[in-house]
Amino acid sequence: MSVAYTPLEMGLAIASVALATFVTRSTLLVVGERLRFAPRVEAALRYAPVCALAALVVPEILFRQDALVLGLDNPRLPAAIAASLFLLWKRSIVGCIAVGMSVYALWRYFVIGA
Amino acid sequence: MRDIAPAMPGAVAWGVVTGVAMVKFGLAVSAALGLSLTAYAGSAQLAVLPLLKDVTPVWIIAATAIVTNLRFVIYSAALRGWFLDYSRWRRLWLGYLSGDFVVVAFTNRVATEGAFLHRDAYYFGMALTNWVLWHVASIIGIVGAAYIPTHWGLEFAGILALLALVVPLCRERPALAGALAAALVAVLAHDWPLRLGMLAGVIVGITVAMWLDARKRSRGEIARVAQ
Repeated sequence: MSVAYTPLEMGLAIASVALATFVTRSTLLVVGERLRFAPRVEAALRYAPVCALAALVVPEILFRQDALVLGLDNPRLPAAIAASLFLLWKRSIVGCIAVGMSVYALWRYFVIGA
Repeated sequence: MRDIAPAMPGAVAWGVVTGVAMVKFGLAVSAALGLSLTAYAGSAQLAVLPLLKDVTPVWIIAATAIVTNLRFVIYSAALRGWFLDYSRWRRLWLGYLSGDFVVVAFTNRVATEGAFLHRDAYYFGMALTNWVLWHVASIIGIVGAAYIPTHWGLEFAGILALLALVVPLCRERPALAGALAAALVAVLAHDWPLRLGMLAGVIVGITVAMWLDARKRSRGEIARVAQ
C-alpha cells in the first residue's frame, strides 16, 4: 500500500467509531423523554446492521486483492460455508470461529498446499 | 453476574479475536488499544478494520460504525422507559456500557418482574462485568497477536466473528432478503471507488428489508380485519 493514514487521520477515525458508540447507545436514553418510532423507521433501524455486516463480510470472503475468487483456490469460501452451517445447527460464536478456522487451515494445507 | 454467565465464553472469544484481528489487519498496537478502549463495540470495531486497511476516507469509516451500531438505538428506546427516573448523567453511562447480551438479560428480567428495585445497579453490574471481560480479552488478543505468525491468517477469525453475528440475525425473512441483496450489490459494485459499493449494498439491502417488512405487516393487518 502506497498511502497510509497520518496520525491525525487515524485519531479521527478512532474517535469517530467511539462517538458512534456513544451516540447510538445513549442519545435516546438522555434526551427525548417521550418519543415513539414510526414502524417504517423502526424497521430501517432494525435491518440496517444486518445489511451493513452482510455487505461487508461477503466481499471480504469472496475477493482477494480486488479479484473475485469463487473456485477451490479460495479457502475462505468453504470455511465460511462450514461456519454458517455450524451456526444454523448450534448458535455458538466460539464454535463458529473454531469450525471456520479449522476448515480454513485444513483447506489451505491439503487442497492448496500452501 | 449469573444472568450473563452463559454469554461469557462468547464474549471472551469475541474480544480475543477482535484484539488479534485488529493487529493482524495492520493496526499499530497503540491504535488497536485506543480503538478498543474507546469504542467498546465489537462489531463496529471489526467492521472498520478492512476499511482502515484500505485507507478509506474517515467519513465512510464513521458511517459504517454508525450503521453497524444502529441496533443500539432500538435497544436504548426499549430500555428508556425503565430508566427515566434516574439522572441523565447516569443514563448516559448506562447507554455507553450497554451490549447485546446485557440488554437481552435485562429485558428478560423486567419482563417477568417489572420495575424491580435497584435495577440500575443490576444493569450496571452486568454491564461492568461484560465491559471488564471484553477489555481484558481484547488486550490479551492485541498483545498476544505479536506472537502469532501472520501466515496463519488469523484476521479471517475476525470475519468469522462477524459472520457469527450475521447468520442468527437472518432468521427473519426480511432480514435474510435484505442481507442477500446487500451482499449481492456489494459484490457487483466492489470496484467502485471509496467503498461506495458497500454503501450502495447497505442502502439496497435496507430498502428490500423494509419493503418486505411493510408487506408482512399489512398482511398481518388484513388477517386481523378478516377475523
